[in-house]
Amino acid sequence: MSELAHHSTDYSVVESESPQVMARNLRVASQLWASATVFFFFAFLFAYFYLRSLNSQHLWHPHTVKAPVGLGTVITACVVVSALAGWYAARRLEAGDERSWRSAGIAALALGLAAVVLQIVEFWTIGFGPTEGGFASVFLGWTGLYILFVLGTMYWLETLLATSFRYRGAGAAGHEPGEASGDPGRTGDDIDRPISLVRPGAGAFAFYWAVLAVIGVATWLILYLL
Amino acid sequence: MSLRRLIGFNLLSAVVLGVAGFYAGWWLGHQITGPSIAYFSATNQNDIALFVAYLVGVVGFLVGLGFANYPVQRLLGKPPTLREKEQQGAARYFGLCTDHKVVGIQYLLGIGAFIFIGGLNAMLIRFELMRPTHLVWNGNNYLTLVGVHGTMMMGMMTSGILGPFANYFVPLMIGARRMAFPRIEALTFWLLMAAGTILMTTFAFGGFPTGWTGYAPLNEQANMGMDAYIAFFALVGLSMTLLGLNMLATVITMRAPGMTWGRLPIFVWATVSTSVLMLLAAPVLISALLMLTMDRAAQTSFFNDQAGGSSYLYENLFWFFGHPEVYILALPGMGILLEILPVFSRKPLWGYRLAVTGMLGIGLMSFLVWQHHLFVSGINADVRPFYMLSTEIISLPTGFIFICALGTLWKGRIRATVPMLFSLAWLFNFLIGGLSGVFLSDVPSDVTTHGSFFSMAHFHYTIMGGLLFAFFAGIYYWVPKMTGYNFNERLGKWHFWIMFLAFNSTFGPLLVIGFLGMPRRVVTYAGYLQGANDWVSVSAFVLGASMLIFLANLIWSQVFARVPTGVNPWGSKSIEWQLPSPVPVHNFDRIPTFGSDPYPYGEDAGSMLAQRPVVSPARPTP
Amino acid sequence: MWSRSSDGRRIAAITVIGTAIVLPLVVFVLGPNMPPGKATEVAKGQVTDNTVLLVVMTPFTVFILGYLVYAIVVFRAPKGETELRDGASMRGHMPSQIAWLVTTTAAVLFLAIFGTTELLANNGAGSGSGPNPVAKPSGAMLPVQVIGQQWEFTYRYPTYGGVETAELVLPAGQEVAFHVTSLDVVHSFWAYELGVKADANPGVDNVAYVKPTKIGTFQIRCAELCGLWHGYMFDTGRVVGAADFNTWIAAQRKQFAGVEKYLPKYSPSYSPDPTFRAG
Ligand SMILES: [Cu+2]
Repeated sequence: MSELAHHSTDYSVVESESPQVMARNLRVASQLWASATVFFFFAFLFAYFYLRSLNSQHLWHPHTVKAPVGLGTVITACVVVSALAGWYAARRLEAGDERSWRSAGIAALALGLAAVVLQIVEFWTIGFGPTEGGFASVFLGWTGLYILFVLGTMYWLETLLATSFRYRGAGAAGHEPGEASGDPGRTGDDIDRPISLVRPGAGAFAFYWAVLAVIGVATWLILYLL
Repeated sequence: MSLRRLIGFNLLSAVVLGVAGFYAGWWLGHQITGPSIAYFSATNQNDIALFVAYLVGVVGFLVGLGFANYPVQRLLGKPPTLREKEQQGAARYFGLCTDHKVVGIQYLLGIGAFIFIGGLNAMLIRFELMRPTHLVWNGNNYLTLVGVHGTMMMGMMTSGILGPFANYFVPLMIGARRMAFPRIEALTFWLLMAAGTILMTTFAFGGFPTGWTGYAPLNEQANMGMDAYIAFFALVGLSMTLLGLNMLATVITMRAPGMTWGRLPIFVWATVSTSVLMLLAAPVLISALLMLTMDRAAQTSFFNDQAGGSSYLYENLFWFFGHPEVYILALPGMGILLEILPVFSRKPLWGYRLAVTGMLGIGLMSFLVWQHHLFVSGINADVRPFYMLSTEIISLPTGFIFICALGTLWKGRIRATVPMLFSLAWLFNFLIGGLSGVFLSDVPSDVTTHGSFFSMAHFHYTIMGGLLFAFFAGIYYWVPKMTGYNFNERLGKWHFWIMFLAFNSTFGPLLVIGFLGMPRRVVTYAGYLQGANDWVSVSAFVLGASMLIFLANLIWSQVFARVPTGVNPWGSKSIEWQLPSPVPVHNFDRIPTFGSDPYPYGEDAGSMLAQRPVVSPARPTP
Repeated sequence: MWSRSSDGRRIAAITVIGTAIVLPLVVFVLGPNMPPGKATEVAKGQVTDNTVLLVVMTPFTVFILGYLVYAIVVFRAPKGETELRDGASMRGHMPSQIAWLVTTTAAVLFLAIFGTTELLANNGAGSGSGPNPVAKPSGAMLPVQVIGQQWEFTYRYPTYGGVETAELVLPAGQEVAFHVTSLDVVHSFWAYELGVKADANPGVDNVAYVKPTKIGTFQIRCAELCGLWHGYMFDTGRVVGAADFNTWIAAQRKQFAGVEKYLPKYSPSYSPDPTFRAG
């Protein structure tokens, strides 16, 4: 038998992973996921300039197709301010100020969701349809998928806030084994203090949300202003 | 009784919810579109309903497996946990399991099954081509077979090596007990299984006529079977993105003490390079497919030149993904090759840094060559010299891999085991693949070879001759570690020799047939090519039969004969071979500390583990 | 180690002798038989090109295969050796790495420069070079439009009143400019013996130049998957003498005079009514 390991069917060792490792994982993953997102929207950026330069059948951008600049600006502003709030919230949590983290986090969440709602309003009132040329296609596809990314990121923020609220004031105290994971069959848990993961989670979230906001500003510049 | 106990969250509930979700989505889609269906198409099609059906079906499948439990718990603020379930025994393999070793075996079997289906399609294609005119398949069925074969292979083989072997062995090789994101790891596998099933449903919706490249605007004209292609490839793209992210995060953060970047096993480096490509190229594929989805379902005009779009846009986006894709297929094979050669030459990997440079160089360069697929398309014809140069430059890092392989053999003590035979065959096949690629990289030669059987034979030499041979090298080398049982070596050698000879007898002549003017994907061909095509078909059937030898070996050795492997039958110095076979669930009693790369052959230390006392960074077991 | 050992000398000898044997075969036997034959100037150019590629590859191929065979034969562990014995610990050899890098780089740069020269010198070498190719032949040209549609090619001769024919006939010795376009999906116009391949894209005028020199027939196939009957999208073209061509085109004009008024005016590309999901 090998000196490195012995036969065992026990999963308990695997579960005992230190929160530091999980924190590092989250940070790295947020950076990697941000680069994948950039490449995802790069395809739409490419489509925009490519179709614009080809202008096939002169149907790239008929004059009837007008992007609603006002609403678009408001949506982008919501995203940017939300990203700033998220950044601030993560900084506060880093400093140990959980109360400010929660309030700033809620503000960020509200603004992000407002952007989603306003985007739906924009689609409802937009005045042109998907069939009206290249620009209309790129506009609807790009903004529609962007807002799905925003929604997903807001889900992430919500999970952090929800954990933070649930264990508010819990301090270092543990919890009932098995209860927290929602599985009564479980006898143990790998995380002693769920709150210990909120801090790196918030940092990773803030980074990704900032990147997504930058993509949002680029979207706004290209689709509404250019 | 809790929901968890009621549903059980196993493969059965997943299938039930998946099918139910499909029909619910189908119904819902029809409710959305309603009578306006006539607007969307002249014929009786409802792409919206089918897309919604696939979407809800996949969601139902994942919910049934238990993938929704964790996100819902997080939504409620409950803490993360590594386990969805603590199962033991065979049941683990038929559900959501976050053990990287279980996922590796799931990948091997699941992907293997779909590759087998893809291979059967190839047999049917070659059967049709025994006659220059129509033989058995009508035009539509033939094109669907070609499309499903190509798409299935391209989609499944992207994870063909990373799925089983990187998931299983990368954590072991870097001294970790798990992947960075075990739940995402499981998700990548089950997404692929859902995708493969969806692709098979294309037969129920009339198939698709576009081949794996799915060019516009044929893909917009095509009937509903096309939607299966789109859903398949988008799910594969998602799976690839997540696999790449997970692998990179794992290698970056989970390395054990002493496992520096300069000591990473070369297979891990290949995984890193492949993962970067997956992470960055696959999102572009997903984007392109979503544009196509919108074109088909919502009448946007991304790829429709009659309404302000362009079919060139699709070609550019597809190949921007598509070229990294072929290196996603090639790089893991190079990793396995360079991992196996030192073991059976009993020498250190020759030119480690050069090999790493080669792999990273290939990864980087692969983003700069995509327009060589479009040399005769009329796209940006003036920049063709650049793409000619960049394409030929990418053969330099590929050459590094070759010189490292040759250097490793130098004055070694070569043992012709089955994995070694497959590795040496890789060198031969990939050499032919690379040389034939030169003709495609040169515009004047490409005029003849583009879109012909030559280019088809070329990429089969690199993908089948490279990737699939490496895949089998990996199977014969590592599966004994994964299961604890040896393969039958005699059957393995029969498998190798028949496969190697039949492979070359199939695709060698195809290079010539392409040179003689036969295009790809045609159901008819010039009469004077029948003799050659018949030869190729018979060879292809023998090639297919060699897979049956492998299957027989697999079943015989792993189910019936069951000769125990022992710890280290190959005498490898890599760490996975210092562990029991199969590897215990916690991998290591203590996290090891590394003192060298895994190739200290003929060196004093003799072991890759550090000689100093082992210190575990992990929290002690409670 | 590498260069001083007898193994190294033997492999060098195998490479040199092997190349010396194979190279003449490549140049004089294989080369002249490379596709696509010598029916046109660009086809001849492509044969030369293919031959040069083979010549550049030969020493590398001989080296790698010779090395592989040599290694497998000579460096094989003795049969029946049960005890595992390590080979020498060699982790690299800078001179040979540099030599490999220099040789392959030289070959690659040569190929790229050579390919570019051939491409420009041969006016696109028969490839579809977009609507405004940088390199075009001088002198008078016969423009021929190739229209791909599911699932046939038709041809228009704009200098002969835009007559549309079902057969492609070209005069020998005359520089031809193919203008390839499509009415529906992407096709690819592949005239094998002419050495011409150009994608037919809807809404795009893709130009390829060729000068047929040999009287005879050539095969035309669609080389881009275009749907149901893609496999049946083939045709035979003819290269004829100038006088025969004039007779033929006059007959065509007469035959299709009645149809001409229903045809759209000649244009670099056509936009039919959007017929989604046709067929
Ligand atoms: Cu065609």
